[in-house]
Amino acid sequence: MARRIEPESITKALATLDLHEYGDVLQCMRCGLCLPTCPTYRTDGLETQSPRGRVAMIKAVIDGDLPASQDFIDHMYHCLDCRNCQTVCPAGVKAAELILEARHRIEENRPQPYIKKFLLDYAIRDQKLLSRLVSPLRLYQLSGIQALVRKYSVLKLISSDLDLMEALLPPLSSRMLSETIPEEMPAVGKEKGRVGFFLGCAMNILFPHVSRSTVQVLNMAGYTVVIPKGQKCCGAPNIAEGERDVYREMAEHNVRLFEGLGLEAVVTDCAACGMELKAYHEMLARSGNIAGEARTFSSIVRDVSEFLAGALDKDVRFGAIPERICFHDPCHLRHGQGIIAAPRELLRRIPELTVSDVPDDGQCCGSAGTYNVTHPERSMKILEAKVRAIAQVGPERVVTSNPGCLMQLELGRKKWNQDWDVSHISRILHRSLEHRA
Amino acid sequence: MDRHLATELAALLGNSRVLHSPSDLLCYSYDSTPLVSHRPDAVVRIFSQDEMITTLEFAAREGIPVTVRGSGTGLSGGSVPVAGGIVLVTTAMNHILEIDENDLSATVEPGVITADLHAAVEAKGLFYPPDPGSMKISTIGGNVAENAGGLRGLKYGITGDYVQSLETCLIDGSKLRYGTRCVKDVAGYNLTKLLVGSEGTMCIYSKITLKLIPKPQAKRTFLALYDDIIDAARTVSAIISRKVIPSTLELMDSVTIGCVEDYAQIGLPRDVAALLLIETDGHPEVVKEEAEQIQAACNENNVRTLKRAKDEAEAVELATARRMALSALARSKPTTILEDVTVPRPAIPEMMAAIAEAAARYSVHIGTFGHAGDGNLHPTCLTDERDRDEIERVEKAYEIIFDKAISLGGTISGEHGTGLSKAKYLPKMVGPRAVELMKKIKGVFDPDGRLNPGKIFPANGG
Repeated sequence: MARRIEPESITKALATLDLHEYGDVLQCMRCGLCLPTCPTYRTDGLETQSPRGRVAMIKAVIDGDLPASQDFIDHMYHCLDCRNCQTVCPAGVKAAELILEARHRIEENRPQPYIKKFLLDYAIRDQKLLSRLVSPLRLYQLSGIQALVRKYSVLKLISSDLDLMEALLPPLSSRMLSETIPEEMPAVGKEKGRVGFFLGCAMNILFPHVSRSTVQVLNMAGYTVVIPKGQKCCGAPNIAEGERDVYREMAEHNVRLFEGLGLEAVVTDCAACGMELKAYHEMLARSGNIAGEARTFSSIVRDVSEFLAGALDKDVRFGAIPERICFHDPCHLRHGQGIIAAPRELLRRIPELTVSDVPDDGQCCGSAGTYNVTHPERSMKILEAKVRAIAQVGPERVVTSNPGCLMQLELGRKKWNQDWDVSHISRILHRSLEHRA
Repeated sequence: MDRHLATELAALLGNSRVLHSPSDLLCYSYDSTPLVSHRPDAVVRIFSQDEMITTLEFAAREGIPVTVRGSGTGLSGGSVPVAGGIVLVTTAMNHILEIDENDLSATVEPGVITADLHAAVEAKGLFYPPDPGSMKISTIGGNVAENAGGLRGLKYGITGDYVQSLETCLIDGSKLRYGTRCVKDVAGYNLTKLLVGSEGTMCIYSKITLKLIPKPQAKRTFLALYDDIIDAARTVSAIISRKVIPSTLELMDSVTIGCVEDYAQIGLPRDVAALLLIETDGHPEVVKEEAEQIQAACNENNVRTLKRAKDEAEAVELATARRMALSALARSKPTTILEDVTVPRPAIPEMMAAIAEAAARYSVHIGTFGHAGDGNLHPTCLTDERDRDEIERVEKAYEIIFDKAISLGGTISGEHGTGLSKAKYLPKMVGPRAVELMKKIKGVFDPDGRLNPGKIFPANGG
């Protein structure tokens, strides 16, 4: 239901923003180069739906030229946080991160609905509890609920959007990977080193077979993989919803958990987790007791393709896969972590595999955490553009490396009757390495 | 916000066409021009010429100002609605209506993105040369209204050189066509040329026909580094006097080079005083010959290092510094004010010296880069809009720079337009009689002064 908003307190909270941390809002020249790459500008064609517009709105609220009304708040939540704008901004303005900071200050200054508090303060701390919640309604639906409740009543949510969410979810495995995988998986052959593996909630609960492949590929590359029990969510959903306290608690827990294990890297196969874990050092910079440890932790976090591109020996033989694939860059890999070459280099090592790009310069697929649930109409438009771009290449398989993208692309495939399959890059690498001559 | 106005417009055009929330009005109050903004009373996003006419007729009945806007990337305030009223956004009129391969022309709606047109015609082996810096998002309508230039201006000319005919709406909503697709057309006054660069003050384009040319087959790229900026400037003249017209001839000064290195560390020597990016294109044989002439011109003017790209990848690499120029400058300070003076080529060394002198005199930080081949320089001031004292000094420095440009036979704006930013310099530039005449011409098209008011002509009557 509608909750009381006090524009004055939100304005006050925004006014103390240290703009210099975000490439300085003032640094925005309003050149407009972010417009053509922004998914919401591309679908809506409106200045209010562009990074330049959002930066202008935040600046106007700070300057007292725009009330921090519901309209303003909605605009802060229209952003997918795909970070494409940060890749192209000539002046280095971090528009997406600035918007996340604005959300945080908004949420701290308005009452939080019970279900959102339940999810972000409680359920998310425990993957076991999360997975139990998932079985009737499932993680994806739930994480969508807290955002939806922001705007609509729960009843409306259940009646109208259940079909979409049902369509999004993969067939659910009975057990999470964390319940079935040992805490240590030994290297195949001579051990080259030891790495940690971070279990992202979505991968662990919804794609346990994929993450198992990731661990096995790391083993085949000569690494013993340590998968500490009791890992918590990376905190990305909390950041997206402006929540910081539970986020810090989980981040600190994760940093401590991987500390002192003698690991040369902490690998993740979820692009969103990777981006978040790499940001711990910034988010915990002011947490005196752990700032140093967070810095060390973030410095060894690697996306699976980033790690393997460097760690797989040049003489490792790959088995042939005679297929035409195209790689879809998860935004949080390409724009959030600046990783473009690594997955392509790896895939090109597989004999007989034809690798091409989706010809859209790294556009978002519209998944964006829970965006497809909170903003279904626009999300589907963005997905449709993605499906069209893929069709220009006509692959047999679309490869990506993020659970949200996997689900969204699968939905796109079904919705528009495409004849390609969707796979995580770890599955392709695993298949190739298993069948080497 | 004027709800009454928005409600009536919505009744005529439908709710989806009219924007009027506080955030909408804020987001259509600016373009890329620093320091200027003003909120409109309503924003109308038109999808057709019919909707354009409906809006204009409504504005005529109500006596409201109308300001046309494309993507809002202008650099002289051309689409800032300084008198309020309606902002008419053309970005949804974005259809390429025809590409005629037999007649080498393209007919487009005003909201077509420049880079989209490039891609569409190049797919057919054709070429639309104008390439303003904002081409990835700028609209053809905006390019025509500002008569935009770009890197290829020296050899291929600017937007206006490619406009063959225009379909327009006048401020009362009536339709008017000018020009034909004929290469030769001298029937009456050339109103097409008059309306190109009219900055949205005389009419609104609804359909634009552009000339196309065949795509050049070959290209060669050079990067030349100099110890003395005067040598670089002399090279520019030397290349031209050798009867070579490069497709790109770009200059960067030491301040800009320093900023690029600070930002990207691409390996440019820090003690270099200037660099030139030079490109020639066309038939492979001609390109080969011109490349030799370019090398000779560089060598005889004390070039320190001359790099030649072996392939396309290397060409892209050599162009990196130039492509990063504005970004690198923009990152160094909160506010970036990009100027646009243009002088005859032989006067470039003197103009560069005057820019450096003005910067020193008013203690402001100016980096200069630009299209040296056509004398179009972008002295870029790195400042902070919150520092009023410094902004005042910036304005004084620019005033000296503009005066110098005029005295050298140059102009206050090469490719960004007059708009708001240059209006006060226009009388000095063209003389009061010319301003008077321009105003009369404007009055014939827009007797009530409702179309993009406040632009080109200084507010106090000039």
